[in-house]
Amino acid sequence: MNHMGEETNLKEIKSKVLLMRKTAEELKNEAGNFPALYRNLSRILASIKMMELNVPDAPEHGNEG
Amino acid sequence: MVSEQKYWNPFLETLPLEKLQALQLKKFRNIFEWAYEHSRFHRSLYEKAGIKPEDIRSIADIKHVPTVEKSMMRDIQRKEPFPYGDALCVPLEEVSEFRQTSGTTGQPVYQPDTWQDWEWWSECWAFILWAQEYRPSDRVFIPFGYNVFVAFWAGHYAAEKIGAEVVPGGVLDTQARILKIQELRCTAMMATPTYVLGMADAARNKLGIDPASLTISKITCAGEPGASIPTTKKRMEEAWGAKVYDHAGATEIGAWSFECESQPGGLHVNEAFFLVEIQDIDTGEYIEEPGKRGKMIITALDRVAQPCIRFDSKDVIEWSPDPCPCGRTFRLIKGGVVGRADDITKVKGVLLSPSAIEEVVRGIDGLGDEFEVVVDKVGDIDRITLKVEIVKGRESERQKIEGVLKDQLRLKTNLGYVLEFHDYGTLPRYDVKAKRFKDLREKH
Repeated sequence: MNHMGEETNLKEIKSKVLLMRKTAEELKNEAGNFPALYRNLSRILASIKMMELNVPDAPEHGNEG
Repeated sequence: MVSEQKYWNPFLETLPLEKLQALQLKKFRNIFEWAYEHSRFHRSLYEKAGIKPEDIRSIADIKHVPTVEKSMMRDIQRKEPFPYGDALCVPLEEVSEFRQTSGTTGQPVYQPDTWQDWEWWSECWAFILWAQEYRPSDRVFIPFGYNVFVAFWAGHYAAEKIGAEVVPGGVLDTQARILKIQELRCTAMMATPTYVLGMADAARNKLGIDPASLTISKITCAGEPGASIPTTKKRMEEAWGAKVYDHAGATEIGAWSFECESQPGGLHVNEAFFLVEIQDIDTGEYIEEPGKRGKMIITALDRVAQPCIRFDSKDVIEWSPDPCPCGRTFRLIKGGVVGRADDITKVKGVLLSPSAIEEVVRGIDGLGDEFEVVVDKVGDIDRITLKVEIVKGRESERQKIEGVLKDQLRLKTNLGYVLEFHDYGTLPRYDVKAKRFKDLREKH
């Protein structure tokens, strides 16, 4: 797959990963009295972060800011 | 189908360099701001230099950010929040992992990691293992003493992450480990080059097993430069009948580079997760072009508990001029880590790298794997003594071997040596990192 095609596909992946993060964060916020959920969600969020690192926002070439 | 994929991350590993650099700039700004906001140590360092997060607008601006040395980390640790001190960026209760440096060059540095950092460690290693053709079908034997040193811990977790089966060698002794590899038909292994050779020696001489007859097909090395030294790599590959790969990493940094399946004579820098800069040791100028050696200044772009921002690693490296046939766009450092800025010692006025001696010794047929280098003084004159072993059954060739050794040492290091030949098996053996270089001159 070329990079153009990949980037289109990556956008879809990114939006699904974002949905996973939102779901996990919502659940975690509700799990303060439920250690088994709370701690597992903390670990799930770390895994979601790894997916975000693997599919980052691809900045345009050049300086930012 | 996943197993057939060449790259762990087909997007990042083939990203054009200019896009990788744009990603590095964005990530650098993020980690700099994170450290500035959450670590008193970093904020103080940057305020003294007059640099704020908004000042970093280009890769060139990054070079104005002060570097951090290991000695600075030693000074702030063992204080509150105990034991990590002011560089800690998260509440103590978010730290889930403790490791420490080996203390080879002084008091050990403690390394706190959150669970996210620990996932990040194994993610870095997943790039390594996939590039070295580890797959879910592998049964990976890890013969190391699981303890406070990071060593192969993250390799263990990464092997699990990629779906391989992991056999922890833990407290088994060397012979028990070899027998376990044989019993379980393990296909891959991770160890220091010293131990890879030591295991082969033990298999042959203590168990009567030819290590090449075992089922190990790939070995990942760390901790020493041996797997990037061609003669040492060749010895390991021939002994085990396996492909031997190098990688470089450090406790305070992470697993930042790896050799790929093409074995191109260098290591890929994982430029999606790390920013590597090379600085001339004498002038302090930054080296952009291939072929010129300098010390590495490195940033781990995604590590949060105790950030690693422009860390002066003292590792000596150079960019390779050639792209890798594997197709990865992560740049190669030629020959791996070729030395240390603090251990390339001047002897008789000439720079001496222990790796150069290793390359000579391991390249001579008839010499054993072990050797030792002692530098001392006779009066005001430096003296280098090289102790070697002749393999069993080759003792009658000593004169010939000595001649070849002298010539090769003179050619590769420009120095003369006092040569000592010892009986096979009498020089010290090491299980992890070897200490073969002893500079006794300061004691005189």
